[in-house]
Amino acid sequence: MKKIILIALLLVATLPVTFAQNTKFGKVSKEELEEKYYPLDSSANAAYLYRKRNTYTVVTNGEIQLITEIQTRLKIYNKKGFDWATKQVALYGDNSSRQRMSGIKAVTYNLENGKIVATKLNKKEIFSENKTDGLTIKKFTMPNVKVGSVLEWTYKIYSPFIASIDDMVVQHKIPAKNQELRVKLLEWFYFNKRQKGYYPFRIHETSMSNSSFDTNDKVLEIKIKNVPALIEEPYVNSMDNYATALQLEIAALNAPVLQVYKTFATSWSEISKEIYKSPYFGGQLAKNSYFKEDLQNVVNATAPLNEKIIKTFQFVKSKVKWNGVYSKYASKGVKKAYKEGVGNVADINLMLVAMLRNVGVNANPVLVSTRDNGIPLFPTSKGFNYVIAGVEIQDGVILLDATEKYSLPNILPLRDLNWEGRIVRQSGSSNSVRLFPTKHSKQTCFLNTKIDDEGLLTGIERVLYTDLRALQNRTHYNKVSENELVAKIEKDNDDIEIDDFKTMNEDDLSKSLIYQFNFETDNQIEEINGKFYFSPLLFHTEKENPFKLAERQFPIDFGVPWEEKYSISVEIPEGYAIESKPENVAYALPDKLGTYKFAAIVKGNKLQILSDTKINFPIISPIHYGALKAFYKKMIDKQLEKVVLAKK
Amino acid sequence: MKVQPTLLFILLINFQFLFSQDVGLSVFTIPDSLTQNANAVVRFDNTSIALESSKKMKVKVKKAITVLNKLGNDNSEIVVYYDKSNHIKRLKAIVYNALGKEIKDISKKDFKDYSAADGFSLFNDGRLKYYEYIPTSYPYTIYYEYEVESSNTAFIRRWQPIDSYNQSVQQSIFTIVFPNDLTIHKVEKKFKGYPIDKNISTGSLSYKLNAMPAIKYENLAPPLINITPLLKLASNKFSLEGIEGTANNWNEFGKWMYNNLLSSRSEIPEATKLKIKELVKDVENPIEKAKIVYEYVQNKTRYISVQVGIGGWMPMLAKDVDRLGYGDCKALTNYTKSLMDVAGVTSYYTAVYADNPKQDMERDVVSVQGNHVFLYIPSKEKDIWLECTSQSVPFGYQGTFTDDREVLVISPEGGQLKHTSAYKDTESFQKTHATYTITPEGGIKATVKISSAGVQYRNHFSLEKQSKRDVEEHYKSRYWPYINNMAIDNYHFVNDKDSIVFNEFVTLKAADYASFSGDRMLFALNAFNRLTYIPKRYRNRKLPLEISRGFIDKDEFEIILPDTYDIEAIPNDITIENKFGLYHLSVEKINPTKLKYTRTLLIKKGEYPKEDYKNYRSFRKKIAKLDKTKIVLIKKQS
Repeated sequence: MKKIILIALLLVATLPVTFAQNTKFGKVSKEELEEKYYPLDSSANAAYLYRKRNTYTVVTNGEIQLITEIQTRLKIYNKKGFDWATKQVALYGDNSSRQRMSGIKAVTYNLENGKIVATKLNKKEIFSENKTDGLTIKKFTMPNVKVGSVLEWTYKIYSPFIASIDDMVVQHKIPAKNQELRVKLLEWFYFNKRQKGYYPFRIHETSMSNSSFDTNDKVLEIKIKNVPALIEEPYVNSMDNYATALQLEIAALNAPVLQVYKTFATSWSEISKEIYKSPYFGGQLAKNSYFKEDLQNVVNATAPLNEKIIKTFQFVKSKVKWNGVYSKYASKGVKKAYKEGVGNVADINLMLVAMLRNVGVNANPVLVSTRDNGIPLFPTSKGFNYVIAGVEIQDGVILLDATEKYSLPNILPLRDLNWEGRIVRQSGSSNSVRLFPTKHSKQTCFLNTKIDDEGLLTGIERVLYTDLRALQNRTHYNKVSENELVAKIEKDNDDIEIDDFKTMNEDDLSKSLIYQFNFETDNQIEEINGKFYFSPLLFHTEKENPFKLAERQFPIDFGVPWEEKYSISVEIPEGYAIESKPENVAYALPDKLGTYKFAAIVKGNKLQILSDTKINFPIISPIHYGALKAFYKKMIDKQLEKVVLAKK
Repeated sequence: MKVQPTLLFILLINFQFLFSQDVGLSVFTIPDSLTQNANAVVRFDNTSIALESSKKMKVKVKKAITVLNKLGNDNSEIVVYYDKSNHIKRLKAIVYNALGKEIKDISKKDFKDYSAADGFSLFNDGRLKYYEYIPTSYPYTIYYEYEVESSNTAFIRRWQPIDSYNQSVQQSIFTIVFPNDLTIHKVEKKFKGYPIDKNISTGSLSYKLNAMPAIKYENLAPPLINITPLLKLASNKFSLEGIEGTANNWNEFGKWMYNNLLSSRSEIPEATKLKIKELVKDVENPIEKAKIVYEYVQNKTRYISVQVGIGGWMPMLAKDVDRLGYGDCKALTNYTKSLMDVAGVTSYYTAVYADNPKQDMERDVVSVQGNHVFLYIPSKEKDIWLECTSQSVPFGYQGTFTDDREVLVISPEGGQLKHTSAYKDTESFQKTHATYTITPEGGIKATVKISSAGVQYRNHFSLEKQSKRDVEEHYKSRYWPYINNMAIDNYHFVNDKDSIVFNEFVTLKAADYASFSGDRMLFALNAFNRLTYIPKRYRNRKLPLEISRGFIDKDEFEIILPDTYDIEAIPNDITIENKFGLYHLSVEKINPTKLKYTRTLLIKKGEYPKEDYKNYRSFRKKIAKLDKTKIVLIKKQS
């Protein structure tokens, strides 16, 4: 007896800060209403006090349905938190099968003169917006919301789409005090589960007997307290990629009682095979009569491989324009897309594969998850949302994306550059393919300049872009007028004034894109007390460190390895001599991640300056953030040092 | 009376003639003058409105646009709005290639149907039909026609033939016919100097613009709508969501609005009445009372927009706002007004065109106008304009949202146009006082105080609501981006809502603020308020220059230098004064290690001819350079 009391006392002793929470709907406590800020993060505008999700299967009239019950208790700490008082739920499907929402109950609680006052949401304050075909948004905003309010809502979603279970999201943009997330599926379901994100959590797996079918339901539970908010960081492709969640992918359904046997993909190779089987994917590759004749006129089947690839690639780009839609499946079909000259990603790139095969190139589709779709760490069919073409050769794979006018073999637009894709062969076999390029994207800049005795700087600049840098510049600026481009370059370079602007190789993708111009500026050379001061890289000086945060959790994502090089010659005005100049240096990042070199050399009446920054990896782990930040600081400090000219 | 139908008939025949002119849509017939600076050419744009009665209006549009290049694609998007009161009767489009040969036929079912979400409403019952053509080559021409039948006649579509930069107009025709029991009020703005023909007769108006070359966008120009032709129309008898009205002047219009949309929507529950009465019971001054009511509303409500049917025009009941604690601008203004009534403060519901650029209610066109409502409180000293949708702006603060424009004040007695207060250049001030120390290593340590008011208050006060991380990010990345490696030691704000001045107190440091060159140390004296923006250069400026609001900045920095250095060079004092404003800089040596830097910058509100643009640019260029003025220190030889 004594022992038990002791344990009880100990328990009480460890519990003083967290009062027992009654999580039942409607049982909001005074303490919750009185809380002024989130105890573990005073900057939170709102927090989930309790989040419960219960997803389970039911069988009605021989049909399996997925039901999700949501219960949320949310605290508003300040006016900025009011945005959280509006709830929107997306419901998918058309007339034949659609998701439904019902049982919406929502109540706002406030403390008025020490009493809890509840205000209910009226049914007529719930709106249903028919967004577009196949998508309806249910929305409501809570009544009588004030600073300090606690909001509660609950609802159910009925879904016929049993193979698609929404991610069990654990980490949100606001902190979550207490979460209970549960999925209960019929024993006949086989699934894969995976954890994504950086915040650790545990999954509790059990089974529960199901008397209706004399089976055992599979239960997955996550009970977790005090999950901090997900904080936005710069240079990340999409924050959603890092939100902690449990993902479930249904692999198979074997329901002998219902006579339902379905398999869904479980591994990358099976998923690829599954996708290939679709008439909107593999089916599109079989057709070739629609282009055969046109293609024969352009591509000679006996030509060397490289020529066949590039000619076919350019042919597709010239024939069909991308409508901006991402998809791994054709929408109109290759034939119609070819005829109309417009198509989605799959229409275009599957057509490319079919054409390449037709001229005897061993081409196959490569499934891709674009950067905004998330990192394809685990096998899931949703994991791929895009397709490009690949040609396997002895020392690797040549990747092609014909949706982008200015892309080239192995020079893909940034959206494609996301870890690994999967090449799927006719035989059904598949392999992963690295999407990041290994070659550096380069910007090389030559300046030939002269300072006159008034401190006016004039000169000529020639800047060359290769690979992704060239692709991006061509995509953005080939379509704008020269005047606009000149204005942009002037703006980006301390308002230099440009004349005689020339673009070279605008559409000649085999060569570097080159801009060349003459310029004049009176704001680069500072005259103080008869001496001239200037930064060695002039208007190309990197003035700001892009990395300002003290710490960082997520990788720094550059997309490609890159190099930025400046080679500058400055002619010194007559009667002046170089009094001092920055010293030559070379810095390196650990693990060969990158280097910076700077040199300033005097040659007669000229100063030759060389600055070269190189980052050798497309993505840098956050463990190197400190080093990268320091590297940038040293590089910028060097560029900010001055050259001083004094009268002889 | 019998003449009328015949007249209408003749007119209709005329339209038939006008619209059946399926002019060759080949791009080769476009004159060269219309392709210069143009991304798209409006080949013809025929809008004909038949106002059949005060309760029925038909709008027919037939338009053809040639898109010359990729940048013109946006001009060819087709958007047609509809809702319960506006029905689309007909809708189709045809695409032609450069030769004028039809290449694609688009029927109504090919249009996408979307909810017309305006981006800020929780719900809006408006919908739209949308079509975007994806070209395979340029140029191409897209022709479309539609007819919308409406039971709302309270607004009549305006004619703005030049509605886009870089788009020329070959021909634009606008016609309206109306029965003779209706009077049409109209205003023609900026017609002068444009190739416009007009034809006005009993029961009809028609306008035509021919061969108008494209206008290029230029920075700091007045808004396009203020410098190109605009025709606005209103019928003296009209209907709005089933409510009929007659108004020949603003007074009558205001009365109609009050009687049909506002009256009997102001009931306040007893409990709230008591609360308000209790709050103001010991207060005599009506302005002080109004402040208490305003604070009550700010604490109780938030802005949520729901626009359904007449709800787009009529405020929600005040008692519903009281229960729900939210509403749109109409609902919150009506609620605030109702509470002001309870407190015994006179106030008026007021319609306005809010936000930038400033836009007036059109005096000569009596009609439903504006895009926002707020509250007007007359006062002997100074008119008070209250924004009721914000939980944070100080009492009476207008910012750039509703300043300096004509608005419609509505009372039971009628409507009246009034002009809202404008900020004087010197009222929009920002004062920066700082003391900073430069360390021998070139670092900077500083305490800074920034006070801002008037229009400049708006650029600062929202900091108060931001998280620590965002505030630090603001100073590091946006406000002082040129100071690298900055660390904020601490900061706090004092938001003086009575005088509407926002005060920021920041203590910070940064390594390597100064740069070195051998024994010399250099740094820019103006550490905390640099105006670096230089207006874009135009070789041949075409449009006038507009500075829509003026401001003044005053800066005073006390600078402590490292005592291991001597001053080698100190910049000279400078004053530049011209019609655009004033710039003054002076550096005073207090003692060998202490300087005082003073700077004044005044930019005046004004409108100037295009010739002045380059002078203004060179003024700003000088300022940008002077704000980077450096001092040179040299290491003491010891």
